[in-house]
Amino acid sequence: MTPGLRRQRALAEYTLAAMARRRGKNIGLVAVYAAVVFFVASAMLFSAALRREAAIVLSEAPELVVQNLLMGRHELMPGAAVETLAGIRGVAGAQGRLWGYFYDRVNGANYTLMVPFDPALIPPAGAAIFGEAIPRTRDHPWLGAPLFLSRHPGDLVRFNAAGQLTAAQGLVSSDLILIGEADFRAFFGLPPEVYTDIAVTIRNPREIDTIVQKAEALLPDARFVTRDEILRTYQKIFSWREGILVALAGASILAFAIFAAEKASGLSADEAREIGILKAIGWDMRDVIAMKLWEGGLVSVGAFLAGTVAAYLHVFAFGAALFAPVLKGWSVIYPDFPLAPEIDGIEMTALFFLTVLPYLAATLVPIWRIASADPDQVMR
Amino acid sequence: MISLRSVTKLYNEGRPNELRALSDVSLEIGRDAVTVFKGPSGSGKTTLLSIVGCMARPTSGRVLVDGRMVSGLPETFLTEERRSTFGFVFQRFNLIRGLTVAENVALPAAPLGPDPRALAARIETRLEALDLADKADTPVEHLSGGEMQRAAIARALINDAPVLIADEPTANLDTDLTHRFLDIVADLRAEGRSVILSSHDPRIWQSDLVDRVVGMADGRLAEVAA
Amino acid sequence: MSGRAPLPRATRRLRLVLALFGAGLAALALEAAHARLSRPAAELRMAASAELVRAAGLTDLALFTEARHSRNPALADLHTAFQDAPMSFGHFPSGSFAPRPAAGFGKGTLGFDADEVRR
Ligand SMILES: Nc1ncnc2c1ncn2[C@@H]1O[C@H](COP(=O)(O)OP(=O)(O)OP(=O)(O)O)[C@@H](O)[C@H]1O
Ligand SMILES: [Mg+2]
Repeated sequence: MTPGLRRQRALAEYTLAAMARRRGKNIGLVAVYAAVVFFVASAMLFSAALRREAAIVLSEAPELVVQNLLMGRHELMPGAAVETLAGIRGVAGAQGRLWGYFYDRVNGANYTLMVPFDPALIPPAGAAIFGEAIPRTRDHPWLGAPLFLSRHPGDLVRFNAAGQLTAAQGLVSSDLILIGEADFRAFFGLPPEVYTDIAVTIRNPREIDTIVQKAEALLPDARFVTRDEILRTYQKIFSWREGILVALAGASILAFAIFAAEKASGLSADEAREIGILKAIGWDMRDVIAMKLWEGGLVSVGAFLAGTVAAYLHVFAFGAALFAPVLKGWSVIYPDFPLAPEIDGIEMTALFFLTVLPYLAATLVPIWRIASADPDQVMR
Repeated sequence: MISLRSVTKLYNEGRPNELRALSDVSLEIGRDAVTVFKGPSGSGKTTLLSIVGCMARPTSGRVLVDGRMVSGLPETFLTEERRSTFGFVFQRFNLIRGLTVAENVALPAAPLGPDPRALAARIETRLEALDLADKADTPVEHLSGGEMQRAAIARALINDAPVLIADEPTANLDTDLTHRFLDIVADLRAEGRSVILSSHDPRIWQSDLVDRVVGMADGRLAEVAA
Repeated sequence: MSGRAPLPRATRRLRLVLALFGAGLAALALEAAHARLSRPAAELRMAASAELVRAAGLTDLALFTEARHSRNPALADLHTAFQDAPMSFGHFPSGSFAPRPAAGFGKGTLGFDADEVRR
């Protein structure tokens, strides 16, 4: 061990001995600080995982969705627009989407009814493929039980089970009911040759902008939503929710630093005297500061480690039980899936500095003045 | 060799309660000698010792340690001087409450990066010499006055500094313990170190070990005996 | 020479604390390793979802199903609150700060009322 390391060890030993005098208070301090870090870290891990999930899953969304607008509001899309869009150079294909909502008065949930693109996914007439949460929230007695939907009092529509989507796909499909086009139009009383909107497939992603420009000229009333915009929306939603939590918790970190500075600047006469004694018996300013760095470091790094380790367990082992409602919102139908564990190194580094630096500064700054004074003055 | 050249120390300078604790003190303190300051309470002994030990600065005058001017140095260099040259026993002990005797004694060694086992052995030797080994793990606030005094002495000795400065080191010690302290002084002197004491205690300034007794009165020197 | 002497208390205490920090660091490393190791399985799961997104032509996550206006944040539709806000797509944080009603939703029974059946 080099002399420098041995010196650090001796200083750390003194720091610990001094902290052990108020053991309960110092452990409490670390615990409260760790709780703050835990809060921030949970929010960060959780929304980082959701952002990643959204980015990967929605990367297969249609390159472009075209909606019809009437008086600035969303309207049904006439089928003729499909041909118009498909005719634009660079467009690989256009397909009318049929989807709509259904409010189920039995359990108070909203379902999304949809006609899938892929013919392999289209169930036979009178049957449907259910999202994972639908049989669950309707208390279906057995797997494959038919679903009865009632659009108004006195009405009952039966859908046989043609299959069920897995829980692993729940994030995009838990409230989904996939049915055939004829069933869809009959269920909603939708006239033929209109669609909810149109999905456009584009061969070369770099052409999207020009294609949108051309399409705007052809369909001046339409609204165009690109896949990039969809992805960006989700990044924003989760960043926004994370941001609110981090802002709240950031305020508590700041409050904590102020508290630490307050405590240290109102250095009790005893503490000032102790520093005077240390200086009188041969400690220099650097020794005193290194000792205080150890103190601040033990508290803040300890809080960081405890907080982040617990936050990871909280988010990925216990499903973020404490924050899920704030970060995900609540609803009757709730996708039941495990988040993919992910640690964002940059965010964690930022959190580390956010935790440790203000606290170190808060403990150090007031010491400076005392540590550079003549021991004779501080000792009396 | 420590020299004071017309050292004056004013407390609360320029204020109505200004106090002249030392006036125009010039003095040479030799190496490998035992020097004792004696004088009535309030005569300035503690003030003088803290100036000699680089704890306080003179208001005017100069202090030289081995020919180096220290009175004008910034605080950073004074610490270095304190650490490398002096071991200090304070009149009011200045032990750190809440720490044990052994932890207090170890303090001056911490910035030097000691080996923990070797340091522990050194502490034990020092405490044994002062008959305090059984209190090593007792928090200092539970000690008696004499035990605190011995803990403070042990702390001043732990770095084997060339100069031991002790302010009233035997004020709380009985005769037997005073003799133990004098034994330590004898050892230091034999090793070629200097010892600078202040004392009211006749057992100290009448001891054969003492090379020089310096009298003090009202912040001035009054040479007594050689 | 003093190699077998017991370590002083302060040194033992420091070792204990450093061991705790080491354990914390190891736990963090373990969690990072866990995240790394569970990646293939998670990617498989996400690939299944992505495949469904492609096959059905989906555009949104089924997270905010509590109301029609929040189901498809990326798309404006007839029900979307704040649609076409200059900087963002419609997104209404309905459930974020209000607790879910304790009583729950719905009547718990299917279809028509008893007297309607009689009619
Ligand atoms: N920090 C200070 N501020 C103001 N006055 C002081 C201060 N320190 C000492 N004095 C005064 O200086 C004078 C000399 O004090 P000093 O402590 O040097 O005396 P002493 O010879 O050590 O006395 P004793 O034998 O009682 O310890 C005293 O009158 C004391 O009140
Ligand atoms: Mg005195």
